[in-house]
Amino acid sequence: MERVGIVGYYQVKLYSNANYGRYEMIFEAVRGALDSAELKKKDITTVVSCTNDYYDGRTISNAFTVEVGGAYLEDESKVEMDGAHAVLYGLMRILSGNHKLAVIWGGSMASCFPYHSARLYETDPTWERPVAYVNDITASGFQMRAYMEKYNVDIEEIAKISVKNRKNASKNPLALEEAQNANLSVNDILNSEIYADPVRELMVAQPCDGVAALLLAPEKQALKITDKPVWITGVGYNQETYYLGDRDLSISNSMELAGKMAFDAAGIKEPKNEINIAELFEAYAHEELIFSEALGLAEKGKGSELNSEIDGDLPINPSGGAQGGNPPCATGLIRIIEAAKQLRGEANGYQVKGAKKAVASGQIGMCAQNNIVYVLEGGD
Amino acid sequence: MGRQVAIISAGFSEHASKRSDVNMAELVNEAVNDCLKKVPSLSIKDIDAYVNGNMPAFEGANLPELWMTDWLGARNKPLIRVTTGGTTGGSVGIAGYYSVAAGLPGIDTVLAVAFEQQSQGDTSIGLSSVALGEISVLNTLGLPYEYLTRLMSAGGAIGLASYQAANYMNKSKIREEDLARVVVQNRRNAAKTWWSHLKMPNLTIEEVLDTPYISYPLRYGMVCPASDGACAVLFTTEEKAKDLCDTPVYVNGVASVAHESVIIGYDASGSAQLDPSEQLGAMKSSEIAYNQAGISFPRKEIDYAEVYSPFPNQELMWVEKLGLFEENTAPEMYENEVTSLNGELPICCSGGVNATNAIGASALERPAVAALQIMGKASNQVPKTVHTAIGHGWGGMLNLCTMMVLSDQQQRKWR
Repeated sequence: MERVGIVGYYQVKLYSNANYGRYEMIFEAVRGALDSAELKKKDITTVVSCTNDYYDGRTISNAFTVEVGGAYLEDESKVEMDGAHAVLYGLMRILSGNHKLAVIWGGSMASCFPYHSARLYETDPTWERPVAYVNDITASGFQMRAYMEKYNVDIEEIAKISVKNRKNASKNPLALEEAQNANLSVNDILNSEIYADPVRELMVAQPCDGVAALLLAPEKQALKITDKPVWITGVGYNQETYYLGDRDLSISNSMELAGKMAFDAAGIKEPKNEINIAELFEAYAHEELIFSEALGLAEKGKGSELNSEIDGDLPINPSGGAQGGNPPCATGLIRIIEAAKQLRGEANGYQVKGAKKAVASGQIGMCAQNNIVYVLEGGD
Repeated sequence: MGRQVAIISAGFSEHASKRSDVNMAELVNEAVNDCLKKVPSLSIKDIDAYVNGNMPAFEGANLPELWMTDWLGARNKPLIRVTTGGTTGGSVGIAGYYSVAAGLPGIDTVLAVAFEQQSQGDTSIGLSSVALGEISVLNTLGLPYEYLTRLMSAGGAIGLASYQAANYMNKSKIREEDLARVVVQNRRNAAKTWWSHLKMPNLTIEEVLDTPYISYPLRYGMVCPASDGACAVLFTTEEKAKDLCDTPVYVNGVASVAHESVIIGYDASGSAQLDPSEQLGAMKSSEIAYNQAGISFPRKEIDYAEVYSPFPNQELMWVEKLGLFEENTAPEMYENEVTSLNGELPICCSGGVNATNAIGASALERPAVAALQIMGKASNQVPKTVHTAIGHGWGGMLNLCTMMVLSDQQQRKWR
């Protein structure tokens, strides 16, 4: 795979109830990304957006974002998944040779439309939705229980992930204020409200308002646009089957296959030794462990033994991850931006020293049914 | 950079107003099977990746590809979902093209699937939120609420379409007979297409004009049906296509250019685009796609066209805006049967969207039929040899447009 450069990015501050509108947010993010690369609207050749009609509460939600997203009279499209999947489509458009500068933006306002209620419409409409016993939160309860039982992992180990990520988020000025807390203890997590046993409130990534934007360019153009491009050297994506009973929830099969595809493309043989930092979209705290094991960053069932603090052996989610705010359709995109920030040395306050290679991931579906993984490398 | 992409097969489910014999997943599976059975040397295991899309609001199911994974054959395979309103099918096809063109390791053969089962939900209710979203903004501008509720009908497709139709009629000075003639051609063609919905082999202009108005100038007999149906198109690389199929259809140009959303504008502060039959986005889309395909004279070089026209006025407008005919000459071409099955430039010989509209699938069915016409395998095959054809789609607030240029020859000037 030819490498593609990330040449600019912008993320708006995340709010649980933003006092400005969706379109202003989109404009701020896209304009901010262009400004960060010192480019203009006329330099854009394609725009890929990421919204979801249900999360936006609006049919054809992309029809109205044309002007603010920089897509007026441009070749554009919309991916209705996670923002990280929209980056994939932007990447494909660049790799095809048809386009020289792709703007990718994604985001939504969970304060306008209840995210978890909208997600009930993602379940099988015949057998599951009418009885509503399974939704994304209860499914995560099954997933966490399956993981704990199979590998004999204590709930405290999973609570520690929330403690770490919320502490990291407190150093990230763009994270959600409600999630920024450097003084949480494991007991605080365990004593928070039970969502779907054993999942506690503070283990859930809180849906919030936010938009992020990213610019991609082919190698030749990227080197002209910026002195410190971040290269996408590998990508993998995969979808596993839907029905929870057909899946082993203690592992993530789709993440394993996606990781294999991405590492093969990037020529990475031993992810554990070659990757310096990971930004993973953990919609629930335990997913960070399952994902890091699926990607080979830790042995199966031993994810909690990995020192993943900012100054640890392999920092995971130094930005706070999705626990630091989960704007629907933007979270995976923000993970890629945060990984790129680390590689460019622009993560003020939570910079990991000497990061050269990173992985970033995005997901959709119950128990992360569809996963996407990127391998990013910094410039020299 | 980039690879030549070819279409090797296209499949359809049967279309009807209520396919109550199947659910969404089974409907999609019909199209997937129909597509694969035309390439006997390829099994579902040989598909490397998927692109899927539909209009989620119309069935009341968000991200339905998640639970229909196994009916697509997509278990443990890469899959992305692309939805863009009415252009969804076209966008899915274009994403299928890019999935192959990008040359990602291990991804050569990609199945693009689009569908809609409108009998599962209520399309007009789904569409009403297109306009309703702006009500709060308009309210602050002082418009009384009772006027605003009328926007619900503006949000449905017919309100917007009649506005566009009236604009087009004013400019081109056509009569209602000209609209009815387009309908007659389409529905008679549909009668010869196995999967189409409204099959009317003996329809006459008088019969169409005898139906009541839905919204002037569009009559009940002129508007598209609401269908259940699915479409699947198989994309692969040039090398594999030559092994798998006798006549690979090369995808030589793709574009999906957006214009400003009509009437309201994004902040309800008015819009620069007051004439919805102007269609700058469609003109730019076709320009980009023709340039990629090396087409300089679309009128001479294109042998067949499938345009997305739920309403007859749109068919007349699109064939002009996409450069197939001069401005305001399309009605004449239909009258002289230039566009009929045996004509010089046949248009929508499948019956088009006017006879079959499973919304999410419709814009994928256009390039699918165009590809089959080039292969010589279409259900209502044109007698002449088709070398170059286009598949078009529109959607959104009349502001989105997809274009795909297909040919039996590889792209002439590969970048």
